[in-house]
Amino acid sequence: MDSAPAKRRKLAHSEPSSENVLQSATTVGLSKHRIFVLEAEELLEEAAVDYAAAFPGADTLLGEIKTLIEAIEPHEPLPLVEAAHKLEKKHRLKVPFPEPRPPKDCNYKVAFAKPTQFNVVGSYVFKTMVETQKDHAIDMIFVIPAEVLQEKDFLDLRYFYKRAYVLAVVSAALKKKLGADADFSFEYLNGNPLCPILALQPKDKETHQLVDYRIRIIPCSPDAFFPRAKLHLGASLVRRVEEKESGVASKPTPFYNSTLIAEGSFLTYLKIIRQIEKKCAAFKDACVLGRIWLQQRGFSGAVSDGGFGHFEWALLLALLLKGGGDGRGNAVLSTSLKSTQLFKAVVQFLSVTNFAEKPYVLSKSDFEAPPGCGPVIYDADRQLNIVFKMSPWSAALLHQQAKWTRSLLNDGTVDQFSPTFILKTDTPVYSFDLVAKLSHFGSFDHAAEVDSRGKAWQFGSKVYRILKRALQDKELGERARLIHVRTPESPPWQLEEKPKKQKSTDVEIGVLFDPANMARSVDRGPSAGPSTEEKEECEKFRRFWGGKAELRRFEGDTIRETVIWNSTSPFELCEEIMRYILNLHLRIGVLEEDITFNGDELQDLLQLSPADSLVFNTTRKAFADFEKDIRELEDLPLHVRRLAPICPELRHASVKLPTLGPSKSGPRPMETVVSFEASGKWPENLAAIQRTKIAFLLMIGSLLEKAKEGQVKTWVGLEDAKCDTENLAFLDVLYESGASFRLRIHSDLEEILLERQVKDKTQEQHVRTKATTLLAAVRRIHTHLPLHSQTISTFVTRFPALSPTIRLLKQWFNSHKLSTHFPDDFIEIVALNVFLSPYPWDAPSSPNTGFLRALLFLARWDWRTEPLVLDTGGDMPPVDRAAIDTRMEAWRNIDPSMNHTVLFVATSHDATGLAYTSYDGHAKPSKVVATRMTALAKSVSRVVKEEGIALDARRLFVPSLKDYDILLHLNSKVAKSTLKTYPADNSEDVAMDSPERYSRFKNLDERTGKAFLPLAQHPAEAFLDHLSAAYSGALVFFRGTPDDMTVGGIWNPQVQKKKFRINLPTSYKPDAAAAAHDSDDEDEEQGVDVNLNKEGILAEIARIGGDLIEKIDAKGL
Amino acid sequence: MAPCPPTIGEFSVLPISIPPLPSFPRSAVHYLYARRNAPKIPTANDSRSLFLTNVPVDATEIHFRGLFATLVGVGRFESVTFEEERRESHTDTQPAQAARLLAAHSKKRKREHEEAERAAEEVAARIPSTWTRPLRKSGSTAVVMLADDKSVDQVLKAIAKVHKSKKYPSWGSVDKLGAGKAPPLLGSAWLKTHNRLSYPDRDALQASVDAFSELFAKKEQEAAEMAKRLRNEPDEDGFVTVTRGGRNAPASKNEAEEAKRKMLDREEKKKEELTNFYRFQLREKKKEEQAELLKQFEEDRNRVRAMREKRGKFVPES
Repeated sequence: MDSAPAKRRKLAHSEPSSENVLQSATTVGLSKHRIFVLEAEELLEEAAVDYAAAFPGADTLLGEIKTLIEAIEPHEPLPLVEAAHKLEKKHRLKVPFPEPRPPKDCNYKVAFAKPTQFNVVGSYVFKTMVETQKDHAIDMIFVIPAEVLQEKDFLDLRYFYKRAYVLAVVSAALKKKLGADADFSFEYLNGNPLCPILALQPKDKETHQLVDYRIRIIPCSPDAFFPRAKLHLGASLVRRVEEKESGVASKPTPFYNSTLIAEGSFLTYLKIIRQIEKKCAAFKDACVLGRIWLQQRGFSGAVSDGGFGHFEWALLLALLLKGGGDGRGNAVLSTSLKSTQLFKAVVQFLSVTNFAEKPYVLSKSDFEAPPGCGPVIYDADRQLNIVFKMSPWSAALLHQQAKWTRSLLNDGTVDQFSPTFILKTDTPVYSFDLVAKLSHFGSFDHAAEVDSRGKAWQFGSKVYRILKRALQDKELGERARLIHVRTPESPPWQLEEKPKKQKSTDVEIGVLFDPANMARSVDRGPSAGPSTEEKEECEKFRRFWGGKAELRRFEGDTIRETVIWNSTSPFELCEEIMRYILNLHLRIGVLEEDITFNGDELQDLLQLSPADSLVFNTTRKAFADFEKDIRELEDLPLHVRRLAPICPELRHASVKLPTLGPSKSGPRPMETVVSFEASGKWPENLAAIQRTKIAFLLMIGSLLEKAKEGQVKTWVGLEDAKCDTENLAFLDVLYESGASFRLRIHSDLEEILLERQVKDKTQEQHVRTKATTLLAAVRRIHTHLPLHSQTISTFVTRFPALSPTIRLLKQWFNSHKLSTHFPDDFIEIVALNVFLSPYPWDAPSSPNTGFLRALLFLARWDWRTEPLVLDTGGDMPPVDRAAIDTRMEAWRNIDPSMNHTVLFVATSHDATGLAYTSYDGHAKPSKVVATRMTALAKSVSRVVKEEGIALDARRLFVPSLKDYDILLHLNSKVAKSTLKTYPADNSEDVAMDSPERYSRFKNLDERTGKAFLPLAQHPAEAFLDHLSAAYSGALVFFRGTPDDMTVGGIWNPQVQKKKFRINLPTSYKPDAAAAAHDSDDEDEEQGVDVNLNKEGILAEIARIGGDLIEKIDAKGL
Repeated sequence: MAPCPPTIGEFSVLPISIPPLPSFPRSAVHYLYARRNAPKIPTANDSRSLFLTNVPVDATEIHFRGLFATLVGVGRFESVTFEEERRESHTDTQPAQAARLLAAHSKKRKREHEEAERAAEEVAARIPSTWTRPLRKSGSTAVVMLADDKSVDQVLKAIAKVHKSKKYPSWGSVDKLGAGKAPPLLGSAWLKTHNRLSYPDRDALQASVDAFSELFAKKEQEAAEMAKRLRNEPDEDGFVTVTRGGRNAPASKNEAEEAKRKMLDREEKKKEELTNFYRFQLREKKKEEQAELLKQFEEDRNRVRAMREKRGKFVPES
């Protein structure tokens, strides 16, 4: 927002402080951005660590350690193996040599000398720690003096052996002196197996510490000790014995080389960051924000956590600020930016530079990265690849995350803050459409690899390369958007032990689908032509796909290499491909349990299949035919303006697939509404309009039967209306083919008359209230639902995963017996919400993620204060959003206890915020039910977080019946029989069901073969509606679908005991205790207590239900 | 069974024993509260009627006939009116014009036989009910009319006696009394019949709609006549009502609304032409924008502050 420049002069002398306020108001721009800045400031304040309180005595301890190390007796060079042996024997510890361990016959010597320099580095000195980080560590480095090292030590891990020895000496000395005050253990620096370090955790003296911190003691090499020129990324510095003998050029060792450089760069980078920190005031805050952002996405400096942590963030930011970043020697970022701006700038940088694919070079240089060295951000001045710990997959993930966050930060209409900093987004089941676990390395031989990052990492890397080629590369049509591999962490170990093996050898793989391509079952490879190039291509293809590749002829006479898959759903396809290709190349997956796939239980639950959308489309087609039939009726007095569907079946959103064939029960017609051209012929009276509609329906019915003789049967049905100014009737049209539709007529005059009544202040209040309810009902059916149906239909085609997500979510509401309280359209909007504002992710590409994220949204939605605003049209102006907020605030002010308005949902076509969540003048759901929904969703999110990828999603659908006070068990046989009714053939319809009239034998029964009547309303639904109406004050009923045979009920706790009066909310019995004092006169004045007559009520329910209820279970009776 | 007081306030308590059912195999007691009927607006039959509250949800006239027969014998019970039935307001089926006129000039009463005729027509125009038996709202009231004033006393005495003998009348013990046929079944039969009744015979429905339109047309005509009559007739205060159908017929409401909208549009357009025309307007607009910006900033700050009050909002999840 470019507002006019501030009139500083004038404002300045009137109110000095307002100038500042105005300035910050104008600089930060749009409202949401402004809020983002303010919230980030709050976050920084909140996250700050109180160092004095959190690290009591840390500084003294550091000093002590320094003196102790300096006091260690230096010794003369000794052969490595001998020295190590001696040390191990004397101090009962194991020297943490990196793998492969030094050969027995190595002839070089190690010595110990006083370290030349000590320094505390990292976030402790910069004060950029946050309270919520995983662990708090103070990093202390000491520089191994140059005289202990030799220049050629960079070869063949020699430096690292010496380093390990020095560390062991220091550890032994420290343990001797401080062993009583602290726990000692070895661990790898950032999970890098080349660099073991000593971790020292002070034992709790003053029992409660704010944070558990530890001190990490890190040996490092003198600055630029090794010739950098020899350590370039393409150099091969670890040679194997065989290679040495055979003289074959060995593979480059980029990770090893970069580690060596990094070993000598601690102090240099410390200096750089110090300089920038002084120059740029907001640097520290930007680092804290970056740290939180990374932490919430599961990134850290450790190799297994992506290798991009707080240090890399700070370094990258510092280098971007320092200058020389753009290749011409200028700074990329200005030091006068604010912390949030710096943060956004780094996110922007990460989202546009795809350094996993193309190396990025900071500062001017003619650096050329050799191929195959992974992600590169090259600091040319210090010749270090600062992201050397990253793997191709973590760089891709970081790139993707940055892209998502950037699009979030560009979307000025949503809450930017919580998805960026608050939400924890590293749970794989939320992020990935398919999560698999490999628990067996198969025939993988890691000795063939020279990388130093450990077996699991190398294995993961291999798997990644294969899967990327199979799923993500252009060659085969980009089925996946992202593939992620997660390798296990390396745990710390005790000084006396050998380095622990990684706890589990499981490698986790996450795949993010491209929904448009993942469902494809035929992959077309290169065309098999005669030229050598084509032949080569084919050869490559065959080599990769093995026996699965075959030649096929396609239209246009092209012959191509092809791979055909058998599965149908995206999930199964992906599973099939992964199993096949991993087995082919790595010999894993031969046994079923080598690879476990998680996430398809959900599909099984509903038997979701890609063919479902065909069924829905057929239904749509039937509707189109119906529309044509109606429009073609010739003798209608008015032209049809619009015929619109309003039921979930016709917008791909019903849990059960619509059935078009013959069925065993009465058909349940799909609801539609019709509106005609404007006409002055409607009578100016509501009751008369309703009768006219009936006449109209009768006419349409007979015309339709005449026009499509023999194919169509129509029934005019009566609504369960309470008064004759509401809609009285509908027309059910049953096609021979099995499709059936229900038609209701819209009259524009009805709406106008009702509107007039609502506005008419001379009318009595009850008339106006009634008119308001009726008007809401009319608008819901004839305006809101058609538009909603259209919206959902549009988005279902745009997002393939939307339809199954909606169906899963509805199933969840069903199984927790909530769906009677939630209109279909509300649930659909909730599902749509995770597609339209998916932050911090992208729109879900599978039902699993869609469903889980929808529940996550429900768990986190604070509906007491926030409206759910969904811009379905894509062009909602900010003014409208503000108006919605204001309206919600106004409602909450009028009705703070939320008796009338509870959930507030607004979309582009409904700004009132209540169309989705109110029904018949009541809030639907009520506050109690909405609270229950939130509680259930919260427990789901908790389970998901706890179980991680081992989650069995079926568990989320198991209702807990113990929460209900009463349970009505319906008799399913009787309930089914209510679905079948026959047209009355004479007036004695009451006796129709008496058994004597019809034979027990089906073939003798005169009704056999007669068509069923359609169902005006599902009988179970009608039954529960009546119960709810009769006991609206006393009981709340819970039930899933109408087929649910168990109905739960909860007593309203507020009506347990009352003073006696006329018109009590429900049935009461006199209190026995009160009876004793009944004769007292005082009592009569106060009124006598009466108690809820629970048995009486349940007996009544039993009588109403009759044969339909099998059993009533009641708690506490 | 806990002892129960014979009266609460001015109400006599009538315990009714409920026989157990297979789905709820416990005997329960329902409590009906009764007193003499004394409505705020007295009617002629008050002295021979009883006011009941806490009526069972499945109550029907047959149930009450049976109940009173057990209490005071056959022949005392005349009828029962339930709460919903009393409240049922007759919807206004007048044409809009007629309704307005009648509200202003309701002095002329119709003759009696005409009224009866009209009532019959209205019954014919009514839409058939789709339920064989309505449910009452739990805790609702009813008024029972008895044969004569004496019966009321007898009933109240009988209720008092019930407490002494502890022999509670049972609900739904109908056939024993021969008081007519049993009420329609509830349960699945009830639901099935409802579905059947929801699809009435097409001809019957057509007939009912026709009856309605006839009635409606008649009323409309009456209204037109009345309008004609009133056209030149001053009322009590000496005013002449302006009605539709004169030489200069007043516009219909729709047209009037349309005209008003058009006028507003015109005015709006005129205003728009003159905005941003003068320098001072631009200046003022800028000032306003600035003030708005400041206000929004303050609002945002307050909002964030409010969020902090709630706490927990600014702590990253772990």
